[in-house]
Amino acid sequence: MACFTVTTVAAIGVGIARHVVKHNENKKDPTKVDPIKLDTAPVSKKLGVLELALWGGSFILAGEHLIHGEVSFKFPWLTAVSEGPEAVSEMLTEMGTVGVGMLGIIVGAWAIGLLVRRFLLKRKAKQLVKE
Amino acid sequence: MYFLTALACTAIFVLLWQVVKTEKPYHFEYGALIFGAATAMWLIDCIASAVEGEGFLSFEMPTDYLIAIWTVVGGFVFYAAVVWIKYFVDKKKAK
Repeated sequence: MACFTVTTVAAIGVGIARHVVKHNENKKDPTKVDPIKLDTAPVSKKLGVLELALWGGSFILAGEHLIHGEVSFKFPWLTAVSEGPEAVSEMLTEMGTVGVGMLGIIVGAWAIGLLVRRFLLKRKAKQLVKE
Repeated sequence: MYFLTALACTAIFVLLWQVVKTEKPYHFEYGALIFGAATAMWLIDCIASAVEGEGFLSFEMPTDYLIAIWTVVGGFVFYAAVVWIKYFVDKKKAK
C-alpha cells in the first residue's frame, strides 16, 4: 500500500546524516591519517552507497504503487487515506511489517557488504605482511 | 513477474560491472545497486504475499507486465540520471 515510504524516509535521513558526516570529514586535517587503519574509504562514501540503494529501490517501487493505484498525484497522494480509517490502519500495518522488512534487508545487505570488504582488506594486508 | 525482471536487470548490471573494463565513467555498479535494492525490496513483498496465501509470484495481465516495463525503463532512467549527476560533479571538482 505504501511500504516504499519507509525506505524513502530512511533515504532522506541517511542523506542528511551523510551531509553532516561529510561536513565533519572536511573539517579534519587530511595529513593526519591513521597508518593502522585498513579501510581508508570515508564514512560519507559508505553512507552514499546506502543512500543510493534506498533511493533507487524506493523510486522503482513508487512507480509500482502508482501503477497499482495505491499512490496518486492528487492530495492526499496515498489512496488509502481517502478510503477511510480501516484502509489507513491496513496501510500502517503494511508499512510496519513489509516496509520495515524492506528497510531491514537493504541495511542488512549494506552492513554485510561492509563486513565482507573489511574481511577482504584484512586478508590482503596479512598476505602483504607475509610477503 | 517484476521481481524476476528486477533480478534479471541486477544480474545484467553485475555482469557489466565485473566483465566490461572501460575507462569511460559508466558506473555499472550504481545500476547493480539500484536494481539490487528493488529486487531485495520486492523479495520481502513476495514473501509477505506468500505468507498471506496469495502466492510468491504474480503474473497478472496487464498490470504486472506494465510494472515489469516500468522496472526496466524507470530503473535505467534513474541510473542514467545518477551517472550524469556524478559526471558533472566530478567535472566541477576537477576544475
